[in-house]
Amino acid sequence: MEIGQEITGLQEKLRILADAAKYDVACTSSGVGRSGKRGYTGNSVAAGICHSFASDGRCISLLKILLTNHCIYDCKYCINRRSNDVVRTAFTPDEVCRLTMEFYRRNYIEGLFLSSGVIKSPNYTMEQIYEVLYKLREVYRFRGYIHIKAIPGADESILDAVGLLADRMSINLELPTAESLHALAPHKSRETILTPMRRIQGKISESRISMGQSPSLERAWGVKNFSHGIFSEKEERISDTGAAAASESSLTVESSLTVPGQSRYPARQREIRTYAPAGQSTQLIVGATPESDYHMMMVTQALYRQYDLKRVFFSAYVGLNEDSALPAPGEKPPLLREHRLYQADWLLRYYGFRAEELLSEDRPNFNVYLDPKCDWAVRHLECFPVEIMRADYETLLRVPGIGAKSARRILQARRIGKLDFFDLKKLGVVLKRAHYFIILNGKQMFPTALEENRITAGLIGDSRKKNWELEHTECYRQLNLFDDMKLSVEAEAEDFGKAAMGQL
Amino acid sequence: MRGYLCEDSLEGIFTGIYDAWASGLGHDGVRVLMKNQYEPEFFMEYEEVLPDSEKAEKVARSIRRKISAEAFRAVYRTAVSREPERADIIYRFLVEGFRYGRETLQLLQLPAVRRLFEVDRMVGNEAHRYLEFIRFEQMKNGVLFAEISPKSRVVTLVASHFADRFPDENWVIYDDVHGEAAIHGAGKDWAVAGLSLEEADAYRRNQGVSDEYEDLWKTFFEATGIRERENYHCQRNFLPLWYRKHMTEFSSSR
Repeated sequence: MEIGQEITGLQEKLRILADAAKYDVACTSSGVGRSGKRGYTGNSVAAGICHSFASDGRCISLLKILLTNHCIYDCKYCINRRSNDVVRTAFTPDEVCRLTMEFYRRNYIEGLFLSSGVIKSPNYTMEQIYEVLYKLREVYRFRGYIHIKAIPGADESILDAVGLLADRMSINLELPTAESLHALAPHKSRETILTPMRRIQGKISESRISMGQSPSLERAWGVKNFSHGIFSEKEERISDTGAAAASESSLTVESSLTVPGQSRYPARQREIRTYAPAGQSTQLIVGATPESDYHMMMVTQALYRQYDLKRVFFSAYVGLNEDSALPAPGEKPPLLREHRLYQADWLLRYYGFRAEELLSEDRPNFNVYLDPKCDWAVRHLECFPVEIMRADYETLLRVPGIGAKSARRILQARRIGKLDFFDLKKLGVVLKRAHYFIILNGKQMFPTALEENRITAGLIGDSRKKNWELEHTECYRQLNLFDDMKLSVEAEAEDFGKAAMGQL
Repeated sequence: MRGYLCEDSLEGIFTGIYDAWASGLGHDGVRVLMKNQYEPEFFMEYEEVLPDSEKAEKVARSIRRKISAEAFRAVYRTAVSREPERADIIYRFLVEGFRYGRETLQLLQLPAVRRLFEVDRMVGNEAHRYLEFIRFEQMKNGVLFAEISPKSRVVTLVASHFADRFPDENWVIYDDVHGEAAIHGAGKDWAVAGLSLEEADAYRRNQGVSDEYEDLWKTFFEATGIRERENYHCQRNFLPLWYRKHMTEFSSSR
């Protein structure tokens, strides 16, 4: 293994290892509520707290760093791959602990997000991470949030030990298909990623059962009762491995807290710890390989249903490495596509949609002009209009312009009295989008025909500017008459037709 | 119509509401106004209200009992806002509240409830932003000192969060707009005290020290942004410029 010039200054190390960690997207501190305690530092707020926003507009919630950027792997998309000539360095466990504690005391961060390059072997790396974690919890007595990246290929016993000290565990799937993974990350395989993911899932549900909770994670209000959402409990899950894994082992509190290989990784004695109480998450890279949005969404849905993940994150690929298998460096990251995938991800987790409703083999990619919910609505006009005063929660959620908050406010407000359109606006409904699809006390807001082309034209007019800004942030220029707004998709035959009819 | 002029405190506002309610002029015959923030009108008579803890306590108890504890919290947040009509907004809300009881907060189609809801949300959002954006500086004697310039008087809304988070630290959160500070001693409860700008400056001059972790934090902050995704518009949406006045990562001269 190569030893470059060793960096000693803490500031320089921090610069290098924060820079190397920044492409990991997950920076949430949510999912676990834990109050503070005398003799300890820190607590955790269930909703999560962002502490700053970087120049790219992404939230900074956790101290997101790598333990080291030395790596024995050679994943093509990664800046820290073995074959790249970058300055290598590593933190000592005490440096990480001190940085975390001092940043935390000044209210800069909500906790620690620790990932690492693979040094020597996956097991050795995880042991290093465990040492940091143990020190932080036991010596520095830290009660804040900790997110740990598990290294694919590490032993189960050490994953189990780490999970008892961390709040969230994650293993990056990175690429949705085995072929892509093989092409871009030759040292990783689906097994080495999915096996520990399954193990963590089993551990989480086991721990939850021992604490008297349901084996699967908590989800947004109401989604478990939807008629056909992805978390519906009414139908049989595709696979119920979580419960199965839990029922195989004995369910006493002691057994679930005993750590295999106990002598090497002493577990905390004083307090009952749950295993990764904020669940596990993963990340998919968008735009490095040719998979369609449909493929990505199906994988996402499967991860939620079969592995009970808390979140799946998407990361628009930023070209860093010169490689024939990858888009060229300097190409713009596919931000709009990433945005659409996140929108669809919310539709799965909060709105009771399924991936196959949003996309199909024939329409494998999201509409550039319309968000996925509007797109679904204009293709399913048979479900509309919806009568606001009578529709149930699930139906309300499917109306574009109505979100989880406004739908719940509608449910509460309409119990006592009538609503009018002004009230709806004040409840938070975006009438600009919703008015095509709703009736209130039997009346539409404006007399508009429920007609696909007309509604599409209306909706697109509203969202075009926003979409354009997403793709072209901070690059202003003079408007001109022949401006095509730099839309990156080719116009289709249908669009020409619409343009001719004056609908687009 | 009679206007009751009350002092700018929860006690003052509640006393004003009590007196207005008890005046027998009917809800349309009275208005509750802030003494320091009202515009005199020609056809109004005005009466000054002196804060009376007994009357205020009665109002507070009625809100908790006849409406809900959540409604009391909403009323409290409205009372610490900078909305000039906050006293009257609370009064109108209570008129509806004592009629509809527990569910009042959800009845957003009622204009009086909606008004309170909007002010409450504004203050609540601002307080939450301060949980995120308060930055402590470490003084020579180990005290953590934070200065903020909020629009609403948020120190009482954020202090309990930090008391839970840092039970063994000495810290001060100083609001330089309203001249008040939440002060917490290690292992003790927190309290609010008046603190003038001169006093705060003098304290910081004596105890101030340059802190290596501030530089480290700036280093991290700059390193963690992805240049290819630069989006200052989005950054300003989440972190408006006026919050940045006392934030370590946006201050250049330290």
